[in-house]
Amino acid sequence: MYKYILRRLFLAIPVLVLSSLIVFSLMRVMPGDALTALMAESGNVSAKDLKKLRGDLGLDLPYYEQYLIWVKQMVTLDPGYSIFTNEPIAVALKKAIPVTVELAVLAMILGLVIAIPIGVISATRQDKPSDYAGRLVAISGLSLPDFWLGTLVITFAAIWFGWIPKLGYVSFWESPWQNLQQFLLPAAVLGYRLAAATMRMTRSTVLEVLREDYVRTAWAKGLGERIIVYKHALKNALIPVITLVGGQLGTLLAGTVIVETIFALPGMGRLTVEAILFRDYPVVQTNVMLVAAALVLLNLVVDLTYAWLDPRIRYQ
Amino acid sequence: MPTDEPGRTTVPPREPRDHRGGQPGTAQRAEPRVNRREFLSRVGLGAAAATAITAPPRRARAQTPPSYPDWIPASPKPAKRGGTLTRASAWDPPVLDPRLTNSVGLFQIASLVCNRLIRYPFADEASGTTDLTLKGDLAESWSGSSDQRVWTFKLRPGVKWHNVPPLNGREFVAADVKSCYEAYAKEGVQAFTFQEIEGIETPDKHTVRIHLKSPNVMFPQNLGEAVAVVFPREVLEEDGDLKKRMIGTGPYVLKEHTRKVRAVLSRNPDYFDKGRPYIDEYTILSTPDAATRTAAFRTGQSDIHWVASLADVDTVRKTNPQAVIEEYKFLQTPFGLALAQDKPPFNDVRVRRAISMAVDRQKHVDTIYEGHGILGWGIPYIYFQDQRPTAAQLGPWWQHKPAEAKKLLAEAGHPNGFQTTLFYYEYFPQMTSQVQLVQQDLKKHLNIDIKITKLDYTTYYGRYAEGKWDGMAWGFKTGYAVSLDEQTYQYMHSKSTKNYFRFSDPVVDELCTKLRQTPDRAEQRAITKKIFDREHDQVLRMWMPYDAGFLIWQPHMRNIGALAMRRNDGYGASTLARAWIDK
Repeated sequence: MYKYILRRLFLAIPVLVLSSLIVFSLMRVMPGDALTALMAESGNVSAKDLKKLRGDLGLDLPYYEQYLIWVKQMVTLDPGYSIFTNEPIAVALKKAIPVTVELAVLAMILGLVIAIPIGVISATRQDKPSDYAGRLVAISGLSLPDFWLGTLVITFAAIWFGWIPKLGYVSFWESPWQNLQQFLLPAAVLGYRLAAATMRMTRSTVLEVLREDYVRTAWAKGLGERIIVYKHALKNALIPVITLVGGQLGTLLAGTVIVETIFALPGMGRLTVEAILFRDYPVVQTNVMLVAAALVLLNLVVDLTYAWLDPRIRYQ
Repeated sequence: MPTDEPGRTTVPPREPRDHRGGQPGTAQRAEPRVNRREFLSRVGLGAAAATAITAPPRRARAQTPPSYPDWIPASPKPAKRGGTLTRASAWDPPVLDPRLTNSVGLFQIASLVCNRLIRYPFADEASGTTDLTLKGDLAESWSGSSDQRVWTFKLRPGVKWHNVPPLNGREFVAADVKSCYEAYAKEGVQAFTFQEIEGIETPDKHTVRIHLKSPNVMFPQNLGEAVAVVFPREVLEEDGDLKKRMIGTGPYVLKEHTRKVRAVLSRNPDYFDKGRPYIDEYTILSTPDAATRTAAFRTGQSDIHWVASLADVDTVRKTNPQAVIEEYKFLQTPFGLALAQDKPPFNDVRVRRAISMAVDRQKHVDTIYEGHGILGWGIPYIYFQDQRPTAAQLGPWWQHKPAEAKKLLAEAGHPNGFQTTLFYYEYFPQMTSQVQLVQQDLKKHLNIDIKITKLDYTTYYGRYAEGKWDGMAWGFKTGYAVSLDEQTYQYMHSKSTKNYFRFSDPVVDELCTKLRQTPDRAEQRAITKKIFDREHDQVLRMWMPYDAGFLIWQPHMRNIGALAMRRNDGYGASTLARAWIDK
């Protein structure tokens, strides 16, 4: 098992190198740079001044030099400073990551709490009204875009209840209650979408597993439905579900800019998208590499979870 | 076990099972079964009924729009001190350094944390929305030499910097102005304005004497612009830039600034305008989504709100009928069609005139802006006349005359039209509709095929500001400018780096230069009118209709009227020093 883990980590290196080349190149291909974004609207800046400012920021170095400087920063875990704000990127990430992680975890919890029971009920009540209702919930979750849903939620909460979460993010440690209020609605919006896909997968895999011989044996032995479904069937049905959930968690950790924008949360999504729009190269590159590394680790965790769920799976 | 053949076992087929439990054949209570078709048809009918019930009625077009006042006078009641003003803001400052950006996101804060030498009237001083009387801010008085090249400013004594390190409340002196203006001139977005300065003297600690390279009677107005805030040299010396800290002499101290979250300004107890500001704290919440800002206003989390259209005003009034609404009057348009006039075909005035006449501007006002908006012109009309220009006053080339346009374009050598490109950045949603309407008009009336490209912020501004593009662009001018000098010389002179519309007209150059040397107000109006007429005659900038929207306040806000070209949630935020909360 340890050799498997080490091998996977070693194989991650070329993945990360390739990711770094792609993000570095794509950012340089896009027209404009951070100085253009900052000053162009104001006019009034001569080409000579812009050239000097670019030089001060190292933006006039050859690309390979810029790349090597950045790689060194990554390897030494010193991502440098934002071109735009001059704030250390590590500080910006320290503020943004907890927001995204909290949102992702809450959305995942809400999504699973909704999806697994509904998926199981749908599977065990196949073609009954409860099954159709569950599937309708799933289809609507997959079809309704989260920007639309989020806008509806915030608008009608204000109109019908005269209430929306207090704007201006506060961390959980500053005020747990206010923090949870701020995250409940966006987590619900995201969780609803996650639940939709997860519910469908759960239903499908549980249906499949319920037709297996060992489940028929369990019925024949006279075990109760709850034990058969939740103890015997569900555990085996969860393997594909975990693959799906792992992928969704990766997407959430990359940041969900639309939901963060609607609910005014300063997470990784907003940080990264703003950095892309304003060509803040160090911030974009660092964020992308962080997400790439997180996805590599997440996939490894998902694979290791299979072994825990299914004793037949062994990693050499 | 039954067998069919020796050595072979037959397994009985599986029987369909009810997974709720029980053995096959056991009698189960039958559940109602709904087939898929019935289920879907019931859901579809229900959804259609729900949509019909909840869909809002559409406003009929061409109705006379309701009117709202364009000025909210100051309250006659004595001001109350205290309270917190909160605003959900669309803008986040990109940086805190006023040398590097003119962004409204910065100056919504900097206008209250810092002062300028000169200012425009506040809401409780102004006689109306277009009152542009210059008043002293850090300067008590000022005077210009007879040749308008030397300006002397007498500073207000007893002004202190905020009581935070490294200034620690020390006195504001003339040397501070000198270091600030020299820093502006050295590099950055203010350089063009401050590079007019030949030298600065500080004969004593309350006198600043500025020598200009050329005469400019309007120079003090430039120092009154929202962006000309005075910052301390100590911060620049210690930090190397102004990106991390903002310290000033203003009515509010920047207590907290968390990017993409909030800025909190707290009252400066040592402010030179004794007894003010009235409000204890002003919190600006970074709220990029428009629906969320509306929801914040509806629920009382935001005291000031801006909406683009009458329909938006109606929806807010449904839940907040007591809200105070001001029609934000715009004296000019900030957006228009920019043509690459330094090369064919747009260097031919007949082509520009034809294009202008082919565009139906009134249609933009009637459809996109619901009958509420201005047709579009470039120089604020109050600088040359008292009333808003009529359509006729905009000149013959601003009238929608497609037949004449077609004839003129043919005379210019393009009887069959031509192809060109147009790029733009969607500053607000209505802009895309406007761009498409222009595309339709030019194709229909002149057979000009426009390929439209929508760009992101940085790509657009980089290309537009660089000035090397061909074809057309949806152009703009910066939003902070109040002064006549900014609106004429700085935006229109061929040598100015702010001449984004890339025109070079010797008549305009001469008039703008002459305007700078004309102290008499009546003569200034006459020259400005000539510049206006010349611009429209030569179609140097093809301004398009625009609606400045509406400001909405909670009913407990006082002294909150927004003055023209100085929206008090943006560049005009300094007036909030006179606002107060009546509850």
